[in-house]
Amino acid sequence: MADIAGVNGQREHFRVVGKPNLPGKLSYALATGIGKFGADFVVPNMLHAKFLRSPYANARVLSVDTTKARAIPGVADIVTWEDEDIKKLGATPFGFGPRRAWLDNIADQENAEVAVIVVAENEDICDEALRQLDVEWEVLSHIVDILKGRDPDYPVIRPPEFDEFPPGMFDPKPDPDHPKRGNVSYATVVQGDIEAGFAEANQIIEYDLKLPAFASHIPNPPGSVAWWFDDPYNGEGKSLHIEGAVQRKDAIGGMYGMPPEKTVQEGLFQGGKYCDWGMRKSQEITPLLAKRTGRPVKCVNTREQTYDFLMNERYMHLKVGIKNNGLITAIDDFSIADGGVQGSSSFGTANDQGYGPYYTLKCLNIRQSMDIVDSNRGKMYLSGQHCPFNWDAGTMAIYLIAEKLGKDPIDIAKLNLHGPTSQTDMNPVPSFEACLDEGKKLMNWNWHPSKAKKLPDGRMHGMSFRYQICPRHAFSGYDCKLELRRGIVHMPTQGPCTGIFAVECNAMVVAEELGLQYEDISIDFDYKETFTPVGGGSDGTTASSWAMKECANILKQKILEAAIEEAENPPPPSMFGGFGAPQGPNPFKGLKPEDLDLADGKVVVKADPAKGLPIAQATQKNIFATYSGRPPAAIWSLGMGKMLDTMNTAFCEVAVDMDTGVVEILRFGVVADPGKVIRPTSLESQIDQVMYFSQGCQLLEEYVFDERTGVRLTANMIEYRKPTIMDIPPVDRRFLETRSGNAAYGASGISHSLANTHMVIIAIHNAIGVWVDPPATPDKVLKALGKA
Amino acid sequence: MISEENVKSTGVTPHEVSVPFTQESARMRAAEAIENIVATLTQFRCPICGRTFGNYVDLKFHYISDHPDAILPVTVNLNINEKACQVLIEPHWTLHRALQYRLGLTGCKLMCDRGACGSCTVIMDGRSVLSCTILAVECEGKSIQTIEGIAANPKWKPLIDAYCRWDAMQCGYCTPGFLVSAKAILDKNPDPTEEEIREALAGNICICGTYPRHSTAILEAALKMSEGG
Repeated sequence: MADIAGVNGQREHFRVVGKPNLPGKLSYALATGIGKFGADFVVPNMLHAKFLRSPYANARVLSVDTTKARAIPGVADIVTWEDEDIKKLGATPFGFGPRRAWLDNIADQENAEVAVIVVAENEDICDEALRQLDVEWEVLSHIVDILKGRDPDYPVIRPPEFDEFPPGMFDPKPDPDHPKRGNVSYATVVQGDIEAGFAEANQIIEYDLKLPAFASHIPNPPGSVAWWFDDPYNGEGKSLHIEGAVQRKDAIGGMYGMPPEKTVQEGLFQGGKYCDWGMRKSQEITPLLAKRTGRPVKCVNTREQTYDFLMNERYMHLKVGIKNNGLITAIDDFSIADGGVQGSSSFGTANDQGYGPYYTLKCLNIRQSMDIVDSNRGKMYLSGQHCPFNWDAGTMAIYLIAEKLGKDPIDIAKLNLHGPTSQTDMNPVPSFEACLDEGKKLMNWNWHPSKAKKLPDGRMHGMSFRYQICPRHAFSGYDCKLELRRGIVHMPTQGPCTGIFAVECNAMVVAEELGLQYEDISIDFDYKETFTPVGGGSDGTTASSWAMKECANILKQKILEAAIEEAENPPPPSMFGGFGAPQGPNPFKGLKPEDLDLADGKVVVKADPAKGLPIAQATQKNIFATYSGRPPAAIWSLGMGKMLDTMNTAFCEVAVDMDTGVVEILRFGVVADPGKVIRPTSLESQIDQVMYFSQGCQLLEEYVFDERTGVRLTANMIEYRKPTIMDIPPVDRRFLETRSGNAAYGASGISHSLANTHMVIIAIHNAIGVWVDPPATPDKVLKALGKA
Repeated sequence: MISEENVKSTGVTPHEVSVPFTQESARMRAAEAIENIVATLTQFRCPICGRTFGNYVDLKFHYISDHPDAILPVTVNLNINEKACQVLIEPHWTLHRALQYRLGLTGCKLMCDRGACGSCTVIMDGRSVLSCTILAVECEGKSIQTIEGIAANPKWKPLIDAYCRWDAMQCGYCTPGFLVSAKAILDKNPDPTEEEIREALAGNICICGTYPRHSTAILEAALKMSEGG
């Protein structure tokens, strides 16, 4: 049932929304190379800064002698953890662990920075100064194999003070009845009666899956340039200018006691964030160094120094009870998860227990227990939901049940999916049914069991299927503002540009509501503005469009009221002449605002649309409209399992060469119901993106560690293989519009829902009948086949 | 410790960090970036201590007296986007570093810094090359085209337009590198097939996954350019 709350939720005819090929507002700046990212800034008289980085996987700097380094010509400053300026810096980690000093003398992963920072005239002098430091390291035990680190006898790698959780940390907190032991924390969530669920089952299946770590998708090396300047218009003292910290400039300003109005930024470009919202130390340190030296300071990580996790590693064992028809009665989900280095996000571990595949199931008896192992593998900065691997445990359960019972996994999925309103609702979900119907047609779906189909070229054919929600989103509210100025509608926004064309979607909605074209809306980027259409990925974008639609209709009403007012009481001609005053009799005289509408850039009479005036002539006023709010019924806020409205399905076909082990993805298919397509070009692109993420993590990308030293061997763009344009398979897409989401016109987002770690892996199993851990490189496939 | 007396303004004006949005303003800013390249050096800044000299000889003597163990910077004559210019660099500097730090060109992006991603692609004497793996001193006398030169030339407006119409970018960091590779193939082959385009772009990595959009945009641009733009 469509959620039609809000103005014009039922609009049937669209002129702008849904239109393809409308250039992004910032696209020309990006395409021509004039758009600047943090690493691109070069300002006069600028110094450079670099951190001392650890050659060890886990180590502490006992002492550092900076004498020789300071004597190098061109070295401007050296700061260490013992400096009061560093001690005063506060940190606000998102992670699963206590607050820690901003940076100290401990590096808990190889190549991680410690608080020894050199500032010099250029980067080469920084490098030389780092080489001239006399550093005494204390090398500590490390863990890069979490299965070994889980052993109770394994040396503890993390100081005990890092296990003291302060109040206010993200839930779930460590279970007081199950305290941390060695390197392992425990998190357990139980729903229903697990024993009763298994007692009810006719059959039990058990399986293991290894969910791989894969790398953050930040293409641009994170870094910043900061300086201080006189700013008499904003109170006493200097103001801070920082570039390279878009959307986090206020947080960084706050580290230095600067209010938002005295923290300045002009750049708009963040690069690909994709759920990695964490600022790096290189982005936070430059204001301090600029203040100490009195000059602008730049500090940039290399790409190698940014091989942080988008997802961390997990080993899972699942036990699933089923009835003979395939209905799941109980799930016992046990994981050994990489807790990462100190400060890693709990979204990669315990917080995933709140999500997962299970909230879409009728089954109410579920236990999720997790051993979270401290490690020195790397850091996950914020959110693992971009590739929520827990969801793939459910995908695999459905596949295995189908294999066991000789049924189509689509039928198993339909049997187990709960209804639209709750986990006890037994009705079908219309969006899901529609996606399946279209998906079967798209893929010529003809299910076969594993090892059953050989292609004409001799390779084995495999196929897989996966579903998920198109999530409603609105964690936070949106503060929208629109202005009519000299006949032009302005949409002021702080942006930003993260690659999801969020601002443009809002401008399209405004144009739709005001009878204008997309190009008519002046998007005014200003970092001081409050409106930002971010709150997740495209789901946050679509949620913001609901609020902006309300704002547009407030503006519309004010324009119509102003048109009537000026028809009855024409404003006197200004000293410089009116820029758009009506030249003849005003057609709105004697009418009421409700008699008018906006269409084709004009205020028109509803009863006779031929009677109208361009907006600029209908009113000469500057008119502002504001709206603060969020769309109703955001599923992420209400909790999982409450409703299923907009869904998506994804399909994969592979061919596996049994002689070489080479896997070819023949095609991906995606049928998605985002409720209403607002900006199709970027919707298509985001679907391509997640399918390539999925391809990469299942076939190509792999973190490899040297176990003895803990060194990451693949933290660069040669050894860590991302798909290229030559690697990618076709992605066939179909969109449905059930108008049942919670954002503008019943839209929902597409992000947080499609990327996956096992759809290709399942298709490979369907082809060859054996499991291959991702990434399924040819050597692993041959090994699984017993040929290597 | 921080002391207030050593805090001072940089004098950077908002204009230097603002972002233009339209096709024409972006083209003009790209042209302006080329125009702003200084043809002949009049200031020689010591990269070690920051002292500035009026000629190279004085800088050289400064090195002899104050930095006798350091390697002397060199001047290189480059031809960037058909503009001849003199650049003071250190001998180990890459072309990318010279473009960014000496010539103020921001379109050549550094991602991998080891010749694996294509984001820093420029065209040198008609060939696509990676500016992160080429020393600037090797470029003396070569003709180098960057994205700014392509963007400023109205001939390539259809290519820029097609990229923007088709969202052949998401975060946009790798986009200029792709566009330079696209221009290089269209220079050689104004009517490429999709497969030829894919091969030409095989060295450019987009982590946001925009790959299919590039061939669509390039095919559209090629068609439009063949029809006279």
